[in-house]
Amino acid sequence: MREADFQQLVDRQYASLFRFALSLSKSGAEAADLTQQTFFLWAAKGHQLRDRTKTKSWLFTTLYREFLSRRRHEVRFPHVELDNANDDDIAVSPNVNALDSTAVVEALRELDEPFRAVVTLFYLEQFSYQEIANMLDVPIGTVMSRLSRGKAQLRRRLLSKEETAARKIVSIAQEKGTGSHG
Amino acid sequence: MDNREAQFVLSAYRPGGQDAADPQFSEALAQARRDPALERWFTDSIAFDKAVTERLCAIGVPAGLRESILAGGKVSHPSRWTKPFVKWAIAAALVLTAIAGSLVLRGPAKPRLAAWQTNALSQVSALVEGHAKFDAQSRKASELVAWLRENRASAVQNLPPSLERLESLGCKTFFWEGQPVSVICFQRGEGGLIHLVATNASAPFNRTGKSKPKFVQQGNWATVTWRDGATVYMLALEGSRDQLRSYLL
Repeated sequence: MREADFQQLVDRQYASLFRFALSLSKSGAEAADLTQQTFFLWAAKGHQLRDRTKTKSWLFTTLYREFLSRRRHEVRFPHVELDNANDDDIAVSPNVNALDSTAVVEALRELDEPFRAVVTLFYLEQFSYQEIANMLDVPIGTVMSRLSRGKAQLRRRLLSKEETAARKIVSIAQEKGTGSHG
Repeated sequence: MDNREAQFVLSAYRPGGQDAADPQFSEALAQARRDPALERWFTDSIAFDKAVTERLCAIGVPAGLRESILAGGKVSHPSRWTKPFVKWAIAAALVLTAIAGSLVLRGPAKPRLAAWQTNALSQVSALVEGHAKFDAQSRKASELVAWLRENRASAVQNLPPSLERLESLGCKTFFWEGQPVSVICFQRGEGGLIHLVATNASAPFNRTGKSKPKFVQQGNWATVTWRDGATVYMLALEGSRDQLRSYLL
């Protein structure tokens, strides 16, 4: 691949890949490292991909596999139990517009791991359920199920963040009120 | 299809409307048009999805990440030999030479680095240029070896004696095809840096046998690779083979 083509590919995809990595990993540094490693792998092995229309999927799939392999070698995580507490869609919707991007990423990171990649790919790049199934190598039904349950979990997490933020505002206001009278 | 089933299917419907013509959604969409409660849920769901997408796309990217990728990408490209077209062209040329019945030249093939080694050099470049951070830093290499053993499943077992007397900078572990590869960077006495890369000899991508050390010059990098027990080591510096050789003594 010519240097100019590589640069063009980086310019087109690195921000999205970083955001995907950020939702999966523990820190911004790890996300940057994963993004970097994905492009290095592309530089070394990308020429083996014959269908160039699949470059974007290749990058996201590779990043996800890198993430999984790191997890396997780092801490031996206990088996992830899916949160079955309440899969019903909640009646109250969080006001996402009132939250900043950091809070949304935090909420995504708090999702059970099997939901996280599916939900992030759906939102970030608006990949179809079929594309996500191919990338993560899971059946379409599983993708739909994870989207349905993952989104419900995301709503709950965001709602809880919204409530926490509201409580903070109230307590700050109360502190200020107390201070002005004291 | 009841509303619960319709909600399940519509959860996969993208907020940009790209799936409007997908037959997978047609029944659920028709149901939403008929049922006001489901329609309200669907409208709310699309608005939620759009808002989350907007928030995610607003996340900033660290300064320097792009430059780091571009710098590392330059040394990560496979050598020309590995590109399919060039490989076939060279193979064809060799066959023609043989058919012509002229001399059969059996000169040694130019040695080259494996992909994991080329990637390790990219990681080293990113560290040296400040685009990536060390996992741990210490001037004592023995401390870094101990840290790697405890924290990152590193393959580093022993330091070559010539490196033990050098001051170290730091270490980092990255992964290649799921296997840990660790790097320790050292300050050379005469100036410049030297890097020790180690991985498990049992890693599927490893092709290093138990033979004597193999020297490869790749661009500015002089490297030597050898196997010691269950570990494969690569020593690399920006310079010549002769400069590198002194560290193997």
